[in-house]
Parts: sequence; structure tokens; C-alpha cells
Amino acid sequence: MIESAFAQTAVQLILLALVSLLLPASYRVIAGPRLSDRLAAVDLITTLLIGIIVMLALVEETQVFVDMATALAAFAFVGTISIARYISEGRVF
Amino acid sequence: MLLEILGVIALLFGLFFCAVGVLGVIRLPDTLTRLHASGKVATLGVFGLLLGAALLMPSTSLRLLALGLFVLLTSPVATHAIAASVYRRREVLEELGQEPEPAEAEETFQVDVTAALSRSRIQDIIEAQERALRHHTPDIKRPGDKE
Repeated sequence: MIESAFAQTAVQLILLALVSLLLPASYRVIAGPRLSDRLAAVDLITTLLIGIIVMLALVEETQVFVDMATALAAFAFVGTISIARYISEGRVF
Repeated sequence: MLLEILGVIALLFGLFFCAVGVLGVIRLPDTLTRLHASGKVATLGVFGLLLGAALLMPSTSLRLLALGLFVLLTSPVATHAIAASVYRRREVLEELGQEPEPAEAEETFQVDVTAALSRSRIQDIIEAQERALRHHTPDIKRPGDKE
């Protein structure tokens, strides 16, 4: 669906840049001084993964990847809420 | 062609905010400011990427709109949950040198009242002793004194 070579190259380069952003984001997961930092960094990584999956949908030109990104966003939301509740209250439910 | 140029510009906008957010999460000094940086990635970065994808591939724009609305609704809630957990743990406020919000306000108030009472009682005793020394009249009754 993307005809021009300019847009195809730009999309591939942006996908590469987004994937290379995952490594410095995972630095905060490893080196975060406390659990809240690690949780925030994992949330950031899942947000970046949503963007990466959308860019993959652009590169592969398939619509299924967008549904996968929606499912990932839903599960990331539930996971982040429950772990934040575990940090603040000491239990999930 | 114009749609593709606009889409690439929107993608670059999103990529810029993703890079700034990751840089902020690495470099900023404490947890709440790091949360501030990662919240920008969740809203502006992903929304720019989704806008660019919708401009580049118009047939999927409905699904991309649904995903964008979902991310725009849920990710501030998640960031707020993390920030509330940090605030309830009171680690960051102590690290910043600020007083955490007094949850045991009644207890500290009682401690202050007893301290003030004992101070005033000591003050009363000292004044009574000074008066007694000045007038040579025993107006202090100690336990064990005879009437």
C-alpha cells in the first residue's frame, strides 16, 4: 500500500530506531533503585512494543498486527495496575 | 504522495517523543520525574506513531483509531497507579527531604500536648520556687511535707 520507496525506507528506519530504543529502556529495568522504577520501565517497554508492532504492520502491510498491538495494550494495562497495587498495598486482590 | 509525506512527518514526531521519553527515563534523578518522562512516550509518542500509520495505510485507520483511543485512556491510568504506589510508600518524599504527609496526625498531636503540658508544669514549679525564695514563704507543697 505504500508506493514510494522514500516512505518505505523511512518506515524501516523508524522501526530500526524504535527497536534500538528498547536497549536503553531496559537499562532502567536492571539498574532501577527500587521496584517502582522497574515497573515504570517495563511499562515504557510495553508502550514501545506497541509502537514497534504498529510499525511492523506498516512494513509487512498486514492488518493483523494492529489487533495484536491492541491485545498487548490491554494485557499491559492489567499487569501494570495489578503490580502497582501490589507495591502500594502488599497484595493484589 | 502528500499523505505519505505527512505520515512520515507524524512518524518522526512520534519517534522524537519516544526517544526523549527513553532519555528522560534513563537520565532523570528520581522516580516521579521518570514517570513524567515515560508518560510522554505513552501518549504523544504512540499517538504520533498511530497517526503516521493511519496516514500511510488508510485502510486500517479504524483499528488504529480504536488502538489509539484505548492507549489514550489506559496509559495515564497506569502511570497514575504507579505514581500513587510511589506516593503511598513515601520513599521518594523522604528522599527529597520533604516531610511526608502525617498519617498519624492524632498521635503526634497527643505527643505535642503532653510535651507542652510537662513544659508548663515545669515552668509553674520553677516560678513557684522563685516566689518562695523571694518571700521566704513555703507555698510549694512537696509530697511528704507536713501541714
